[in-house]
Amino acid sequence: MDTLKLPTQKTERSTNGRVPGPHGSDSPPSCASSGAGFSRQAARDPVLETRNLCVTYRGRGTSQPDRQAVKDLTLAVRRGEVFGFLGPNGAGKTTTMNVLLGFINASSGSASLFGTDVREPIARQRIGYLPELTYYYKFLSAEELLRFYARIFKIPRGERSRRIDGVLKLVDLEQARMRQIKTYSKGMQQRVGLAQALINDPELLILDEPTSGLDPIGRMRVREVIQRLKNEGKTVFFSSHELGEVETVCDRVAILHQGELKVEGRVSELARQHQCSLEQLFLKVIGYAARPSN
Amino acid sequence: MRSARLPLLILIALLVLCCGLAAWLDLWFQGWQGNRAESADLLNVLMGDSRRMFANHFFVKADAYFHSGFYPTVFDNREAFQTPHMAEDSGTVGGRNRGDETGFLGKPRDWIDAFSRQLFPSRHTHLDEGGASGDLGNSSQVREIMPWLRTSAELNPNDIRTYTVSAYWLRERMGKVAEAEQFLREGLRANPDSYEIMYELGRVYSENKHDETHARNLWQAALREWGKQEAPKADPDKFLFVEIASHLALLETKQGNYRQALAYMERWKARSPSPAAVERYIEEVRRKMSSADQTHTDQSSQNPGKAP
Amino acid sequence: MNNIFAIAGVVIKELYRRKDFYVLFILTALICLVMASVNFFNDDKIVRYLKEICLLCIWICSLVIAITTTARQIPSERENRTLFPLLAKPLTRTQLLLGKFLGCWLACGLALVCFYTFFGALAASREHHWPLLSYLQAGTLHWVMLGVVIAFALLGSLIFSAPSANTTICFVVVAFILLLGRHLNKVALHLPEPRRSVLYGFYYLIPHLELFDVRDLIIHNWPPIAWTVCGVATLYGLAYAAAFLISACLVFRRKAIN
Repeated sequence: MDTLKLPTQKTERSTNGRVPGPHGSDSPPSCASSGAGFSRQAARDPVLETRNLCVTYRGRGTSQPDRQAVKDLTLAVRRGEVFGFLGPNGAGKTTTMNVLLGFINASSGSASLFGTDVREPIARQRIGYLPELTYYYKFLSAEELLRFYARIFKIPRGERSRRIDGVLKLVDLEQARMRQIKTYSKGMQQRVGLAQALINDPELLILDEPTSGLDPIGRMRVREVIQRLKNEGKTVFFSSHELGEVETVCDRVAILHQGELKVEGRVSELARQHQCSLEQLFLKVIGYAARPSN
Repeated sequence: MRSARLPLLILIALLVLCCGLAAWLDLWFQGWQGNRAESADLLNVLMGDSRRMFANHFFVKADAYFHSGFYPTVFDNREAFQTPHMAEDSGTVGGRNRGDETGFLGKPRDWIDAFSRQLFPSRHTHLDEGGASGDLGNSSQVREIMPWLRTSAELNPNDIRTYTVSAYWLRERMGKVAEAEQFLREGLRANPDSYEIMYELGRVYSENKHDETHARNLWQAALREWGKQEAPKADPDKFLFVEIASHLALLETKQGNYRQALAYMERWKARSPSPAAVERYIEEVRRKMSSADQTHTDQSSQNPGKAP
Repeated sequence: MNNIFAIAGVVIKELYRRKDFYVLFILTALICLVMASVNFFNDDKIVRYLKEICLLCIWICSLVIAITTTARQIPSERENRTLFPLLAKPLTRTQLLLGKFLGCWLACGLALVCFYTFFGALAASREHHWPLLSYLQAGTLHWVMLGVVIAFALLGSLIFSAPSANTTICFVVVAFILLLGRHLNKVALHLPEPRRSVLYGFYYLIPHLELFDVRDLIIHNWPPIAWTVCGVATLYGLAYAAAFLISACLVFRRKAIN
């Protein structure tokens, strides 16, 4: 069984040892090399930050009152860490992501990516996004889709083909690259989604339930990608219901419930502090009480 | 096996029932509506009487084509277009037009109206006079009105003017005498009592085929039909009567049958809008008749032995 | 501009990979070839009726392509959730909208080139002459008109909930303007106040799409239109298209897309 192979630091480095950025130009070196966990580098600027973020959905008339989906959320994700964003269904995770990606506007508070307000399109230049439900233009092939997104990222023409070859190899879609997406299976469509999220070599990857609906092999592949990205010093921000996976790959987690941030911190510290596993902590935070079995 | 056969048997039974019902219903329908074979025309079956409305629309469309698209809409002043010009110019129908045919649009009412006149036909032209291009040598452009006249005739075979107008343009400008005759005969089959078609058919024989005998027979038949249909009316169609009578009169004059010519001219004069002009024709024929009588008398006196 | 052209490219690809255009083109060709085979009094030089039928088919097909293609752009992106990975890129909503407009407009332009080439070949087969200048003017004005319709349909796709409602309303409005737009002032003059002012105001407000319908000039071989008139008509059409697009951008900016 082939495992996913990310383009390693060796293939990406230019001769002076600096890692090329999304435009092919040199950018400052990112965090440490393979095998390390969370790297302690000097500059810990938050790449993703929210301050007192509130999102209220307006109700329709008296029968449907206003609903506050996110309440006063203050969060910071530092460069190079893998951050798990947890919560039960309806907690406000997707709403928060929608604000970060500019799909909806916050009612109050602020959100920024790399220090730029999320409402500015340039804030999304250095991120990759994989939505929970992956649908792409069915009449395009994988290659055409990636070429289209590469053009939007203003990746130079000469660089585009190399990037596309790299990500298609990474997600194991080289053989099917010229076929239209409408002929792809669900797993293949998910891989196309991952490919388009990585086409611009993002510094921050936002994943919305990346393993949802995948078989065990698919889930393993996603875990491997996250791990590789972490090893390369990329920042990953993802939401998931798979607490076991979160516990394995994440450096820090936050648990959201009914729009409020209940718990935040490093996985190991939370476990020590609360004397329980992440799953037990999760259930405790959301106030779930097991029913007595008869 | 049994369960697979049952639906099939039910289906066959239903088909048999449908065929039987259809056979019975068809007899009942024929008893009510008449033999279907009599209404075999697809357009008649599909459209019913509404086809006559379309027929008139296409007849007017032919006139719009005659004007290369410069034509009044229902919102414009149509006083000068009550009788289609292509019909009036053909000499087969009487005209009721009055007013300015070049100015039906009037003055521009606003800047949009003024600007829009640059973008649609805005000059009064006739196809037989060169049309929009002004190419006087190309008067056969009038062929372009034919498809609409043909379609109009298909939709309403009882509209006489379609046949007469088409026949005129076919033979006069397009040189298609055989087609004109065939079309008129088609019209005569649909309208056996039509004096207008008989008259026009007579013109084909007289002007194009130079068969005066046939033309005379047709015009006499037309005159008889006119007498049966129009004469009893309070306001008969004088225009066609004058046309038929005048053509008969001139034919008889040309062939030297002056008495017969005079008889037609008297009838012509009785219904003509300008009897004075007809009187001049009558005097001329009388002069010819008297000089012909004189010539005959001189010849008889010079040859007394010969039988007249 | 790069983003706008990128999105336009995707829209054009969608048009030529869907079957709509080919079906409509073949239908038009079939209708015209059947009508061309009809014998009218054994004269094979009669051509204007054929030109009229062909141009009528072209106008109907181009409006169908323009309105149906445009009406489904944003709604289907939202429904198929392709909008989210797209807007997660460094792309503004305005660029997305302009890209969709440009793509639909260029796609319709390409379709028009195919249609008018067929029309020219059909007419030339009987007339034996090819007034290229007149055809170019007619095609250009037709294309500008489609630009106005596309911008209107794009605005409609953001206002109306269902693409079918938007499509129906666009067809009704366009047909109304094409058939009656020129005559509203005549009707208004026969009305008492204040209805006259209201109708006249409406007459000035609507985009006069009938100005771009120069079929009669082509069918009846009128001389070409003055270039200044073409230019002014083009500017008029582009102004309306811009107005609709600006409105659409303002609506789209405020719209929640999930």
